[in-house]
Amino acid sequence: MYCLLPLLVFILVWQAVSESGVVNRTLFPPASEVFLAIVELIKSGELLVHVKSSIWRVILGLTLGSLAGTTFGLLTGRIKFFEESFSPIFQVFRSFPPVAVIPLVIVWLGIGEIAKLFSISFAVFFPVWVNTHIGASQIPVHFLQAARTLTNSVLKKWLKVILPASMPFIVAGMRNGVAVAFIMVFVSELAGSSNGLGYLMSVSQLTYRMDNLIAGLLVLGLLGALTDYCFVKFTRRLFPWIGKTQS
Amino acid sequence: MDRKNTVLSGSGLTVSYGSNVVLEGIGFSVKEGEFVAVVGESGCGKTTLLNAIAGFVSFSGVVDKPKKIGVVFQNYAVFPWLTVEENIAFGLEGDDAAVEHYLAMIGLDDKREGYPFELSGGQVQRVALARTLAASPELILMDEPYGALDVYTRDRMQRWLLDVWRKEKKTIVFVTHSIDEAVFLADRVLMLKNKRIAGEFPVKFRRPRSKEIKYSKRFAELKKTIMKAINED
Repeated sequence: MYCLLPLLVFILVWQAVSESGVVNRTLFPPASEVFLAIVELIKSGELLVHVKSSIWRVILGLTLGSLAGTTFGLLTGRIKFFEESFSPIFQVFRSFPPVAVIPLVIVWLGIGEIAKLFSISFAVFFPVWVNTHIGASQIPVHFLQAARTLTNSVLKKWLKVILPASMPFIVAGMRNGVAVAFIMVFVSELAGSSNGLGYLMSVSQLTYRMDNLIAGLLVLGLLGALTDYCFVKFTRRLFPWIGKTQS
Repeated sequence: MDRKNTVLSGSGLTVSYGSNVVLEGIGFSVKEGEFVAVVGESGCGKTTLLNAIAGFVSFSGVVDKPKKIGVVFQNYAVFPWLTVEENIAFGLEGDDAAVEHYLAMIGLDDKREGYPFELSGGQVQRVALARTLAASPELILMDEPYGALDVYTRDRMQRWLLDVWRKEKKTIVFVTHSIDEAVFLADRVLMLKNKRIAGEFPVKFRRPRSKEIKYSKRFAELKKTIMKAINED
């Protein structure tokens, strides 16, 4: 329960500052008004539409970006040819702030779903790739030697040894990817969309509905935190051995 | 030595890492069903010898070895992402009977769904040996498999290994830094020193061996002989 105390203090201070008249109430609506705005958005069904759109984009972008990042990470981490061919270019691309590619994506792909998915996947790809690359290149040699003595199947070595041995790093990369995906979905919806939380906030700003804008921001933050929580729970359940050492 | 009976042999085996020669002109042979221990000081090249036999490092010289070789490592080679059952089955192609046999052999039937992190050090090493045996190797190389275990577990694991070896009739080359362990387990102890096999000591204790032989005078004398040979300049 202690964790709720700072939150309660934060809400009370917010309410008090807004009610005090020190700040413009229209620009800085109190917590109670934002809460009512959330209730109204839920009742009208508008919030659900925006949340569903944003979440769907995050899931698809995260999946595509993670699949590509994991595949290339395993290849560059284990095969010299791939490392020498792809790592330098990925390292250059990785240095770009992901949001900086959005203007170019709009020019090339427009503002439709493909463009949004590309932006999110592009941003997710790099943290997943670099983590997978590190994990795959640092697999303890005993695992590889044991696999070599036990099976001649190349596919089995990749699927049952190299992939799971890299899994702690892949999971860490994907967790970074989740955070990046939420940033990218917001930015790409701001840049042009007819739904999604980014769109809701963009429209709220244009119409001076600060209560809705802050409501959208809070929902986006909550969704990000909830997704991260679910991701951690899910991966712990799926890979219970990660982070565990022998007793 | 009868060539038909020889499972493993090497001659002129030399391993170098750059300009550093680790093993030089090593010659040896191991008979079918024999238990050979390799001892020597730390850094003398015991693990390198096993790695060369297993094909993990490049070498010059000749090694005549069987096609199927199993290796049991000291640490971390049991796959942590697979359960006990999946680890044992790794080298098999759907042979459920073999999995059941080895699960029963290591006494971990009730932990078949467990992961290595849920097991003790001794249990993990039993899984490692079962996984190796299940793949039906003609030769098993063991690299200080009990080096990380406490003395009591180690003692128990040595007796268990002898029991398994007697039943499975496998050829084993066992690297250890413990002379006590080498003398208790092996038919023959090879001593690595100055990059070569500098001594060979037959162990003539009757089998099956009980732990009582460790307290005998003959056991102590053989240990002393090997120890002196290692420490001699």
